[in-house]
Amino acid sequence: MKKGSKIFSYVILAFISVVSLFPFYLMIVMSTYKTEEIFKGLPFLPSNYFMTNMKTVFQSNFIGSYVNSLLVSILSTVVCVVISAMVGYGITAYRFKGRRLLINLVMLTMMVPVQIGVVGYMIEMRTMHMTGTLMPMILIWLANGFGAFWMIQFMQSSLPMEIVESARIDGSNEMNTFFRIVMPCIKPGLVTLVLLIFLWSWNSYLVPLVFVNDNSVMTIPIFIKSLGNAYRTDYGAQLTGLAVATVPLLVLFIAGSKNFIQGLTAGAVKG
Amino acid sequence: MNKIKKTGGNRKYTVFWPIVFVAPFVICFFLFNLFPILYSFQLSFYDWSGVGEKTFVGLANYVRIVTEDKMFLKSLGNTLFMMVISFPFAIIFGLVISAFLSNLKHGRRFFQTVNFLPYITTPVAIGLIFTFLFDRNTGMVNRLLELLNVNGLNWLGNPRLAQVVIAIMIAWKYTGYYMALYLAGITSISEDIYEAARVDGAGALTIFRKITMPLLKPITIFIIVTSMIGGLQLFDEPNLMFNVSTTSVIGGPDRSCLTLLWNFYDVAFGSTAKLGYGSAVAVCIFIVIVLISLIGMKLMNRKEDVI
Repeated sequence: MKKGSKIFSYVILAFISVVSLFPFYLMIVMSTYKTEEIFKGLPFLPSNYFMTNMKTVFQSNFIGSYVNSLLVSILSTVVCVVISAMVGYGITAYRFKGRRLLINLVMLTMMVPVQIGVVGYMIEMRTMHMTGTLMPMILIWLANGFGAFWMIQFMQSSLPMEIVESARIDGSNEMNTFFRIVMPCIKPGLVTLVLLIFLWSWNSYLVPLVFVNDNSVMTIPIFIKSLGNAYRTDYGAQLTGLAVATVPLLVLFIAGSKNFIQGLTAGAVKG
Repeated sequence: MNKIKKTGGNRKYTVFWPIVFVAPFVICFFLFNLFPILYSFQLSFYDWSGVGEKTFVGLANYVRIVTEDKMFLKSLGNTLFMMVISFPFAIIFGLVISAFLSNLKHGRRFFQTVNFLPYITTPVAIGLIFTFLFDRNTGMVNRLLELLNVNGLNWLGNPRLAQVVIAIMIAWKYTGYYMALYLAGITSISEDIYEAARVDGAGALTIFRKITMPLLKPITIFIIVTSMIGGLQLFDEPNLMFNVSTTSVIGGPDRSCLTLLWNFYDVAFGSTAKLGYGSAVAVCIFIVIVLISLIGMKLMNRKEDVI
């Protein structure tokens, strides 16, 4: 009985995994096809057009957009995670006036999507002369409601305050304590947040759509949409570009997969 | 800095350091989140194309949304419909997969990573691939149907079917994310509880229903609330699938896939560039999101009493 149910589990999971993987697999396979060929048969097996597609992709503004996307995602992620961890520590380690208010503010930020204010944001950026740069796509991530909520949750459930107390008694400066002692303690939570913010900013579509007006500030999703020309959308090349664009995410998530679930466990369980 | 030193050690921990740690978030929040929203709110009472003079029009924008503009209500209906036929499936599948996964000793990490892949795939790619899959003439789905002697459907041309395709896309994408969240929850349930239940002779299904599900409730609430907020912001997938530059009609067949945010984007930045009116639409979306979240939370609490 027990063995049977185990096999049953594996069969079900294998089936679901195939469904999960199939479109992903198609993306890889189709990236080896010439656009016209994609529509002719069932493209299950790789074809021989990959290098040509790669050429098309790299002859365009792909590398520039890739670098832009990397810049936007890395900067957004690093600054957002540090800011979130700081506010999480502030709320966990101190009792101060307005603490309750701040927690409610974070909850509210999480509920209100940034897109709601994008018109005002655009005018603000225009006034600050930041349109035409990558800044609008980075700044919007800095005070992220989810990030702050996440770090508050995580630290309250899994930061041992005794360590912080003993560091204080030893005369450690709070900044020092935060970077040297607290940050290593909350590594799984940090990894999870890094992965999610990187993912969300990398795939972000609406805000770049509003702000990208020329090639120099294109990010990957916008760039892919623009591949091809007015007469022929080059699907083969688009898919090649997308497959290459998924690599950083794939590497990050496989490298962080152990910490990711661990981080989710401590952060989300309290909901 | 000097002042704090003088007032003694305690003030340091109730005023100085809290400010240091909290300030970056608060400042960025005011600059890049709150200010734009308040500014949009102010703009919603004006008629403005982004250049030139603003004209104060009072509540005219809002009156127009409620009385004249059919697109706002239509996009609300579309969004809600697509949410209702997609997210429940993603949540249930996510829960079931995580339950199966938690029983495994080997290959857990592998299955977990594989099933998480749809969530990290760029929406642009998902949109493209689903366009191929559901194409009327050349798509794989119709070819499979033909193999079964069923006539192929016009998936992307029929308003209802187009919504179904978007819903499949969303369910496919979010299942892995919810699986990961549930898996995290299951991992945190103490093994002792399960052991005790097994000793008492409870079967696998009973354990799942009486122990796992109730203990996962905080996560379920978190998932349902965030999926409602996220669902109301639906934009990427339908836009990427049906935003074809060759036609001027937006929103897919019969505008059935025009979501709240897509409608907002089109009004504010698309064909018309009406920033004032667009802001009013955004404010209405905000109200809808708050209302639905509140109703959602209320319903969840009532259910709590029943169980």
